[in-house]
Amino acid sequence: MRTSLTYFLLLLVACAPLMAQQPQPAPPAATDEFVPISQLPAQDQLPAAPLLVTAYAFVWVALFGYLLSVGRRLTKVQREVDRLESDIARGTRT
Amino acid sequence: MPKWFMPLAGVNAVMFAAAPFLIARADYESTMGLVQKIFYFHMPSASMFLLSAVVCGIASARFLFGGSPRQDRLAYAAAELAVLFGAITLVTGPLWARKAWGVWWAWDVRLTSSLMGWMVAWAYLLVRKYGGPGSDKLAAGLALFGMANVPFVYISVNYWRTIHPKTSVVPTLPADMGTALWFSFACFLLLFTLLLRVRVHLEEQRAKLDTLYLSLDE
Repeated sequence: MRTSLTYFLLLLVACAPLMAQQPQPAPPAATDEFVPISQLPAQDQLPAAPLLVTAYAFVWVALFGYLLSVGRRLTKVQREVDRLESDIARGTRT
Repeated sequence: MPKWFMPLAGVNAVMFAAAPFLIARADYESTMGLVQKIFYFHMPSASMFLLSAVVCGIASARFLFGGSPRQDRLAYAAAELAVLFGAITLVTGPLWARKAWGVWWAWDVRLTSSLMGWMVAWAYLLVRKYGGPGSDKLAAGLALFGMANVPFVYISVNYWRTIHPKTSVVPTLPADMGTALWFSFACFLLLFTLLLRVRVHLEEQRAKLDTLYLSLDE
């Protein structure tokens, strides 16, 4: 038991240089200054949520607005067609 | 209106209600984060903008060389949809660009050619409204230029230096991003079909009104 432990320790010591040669992950650089957010590039200072909400809100408003506009125009034309058709029918009868 | 219109409109409304859930579930893009989610409505509306310009161009060509009023009505309806979807594209794009690029607008080929296509669609509508007699044929000529611009808009990102994402982005999307995009695309395609049908119906009613006025005069 003692012999195997000795061999294991010797193996560990022998492998130590090999293990030391393995690339180690670089530790994050120490902060040597604080950068105010106003000094970041313009796109990094902006919050994304208001832009996203504005974009989707615009899509909904544009689509609903167009639907309303087409609906109103169609109702107006339809009413006039009905009125003229009834006028013509009345004219034919008299 | 045809029988299929209302059931399909219902399906489209349900699809549009479900789309935000799929978009919210899609992964964030690694560099752009939350703002990239504008893409899921921006790209389909841009596709419908280009599709409208193509439909308007083909119908105008058939009207010019065949003289069918039915094709003219289709072209008029498609031009209005080109203005609508073009507006959505040109508003959502800069909102995304402000965060992703740091600017609202860049005069690169994709953006500039899209703006030109949108202005041609506006020109079509203005000519139709204020051009007087013969404006239908003049506008049809404009629509041909609007259609010729479409392939240029599409391929521009692959041939010129630009900061706009290339067309190769779409086929390489991971599953959850792809599902959200193609679902939104299907929503917009169905909406385009429905709006085109209802807008053509409006033109048909206007043509009927003209015929009725003529018959009253006689």
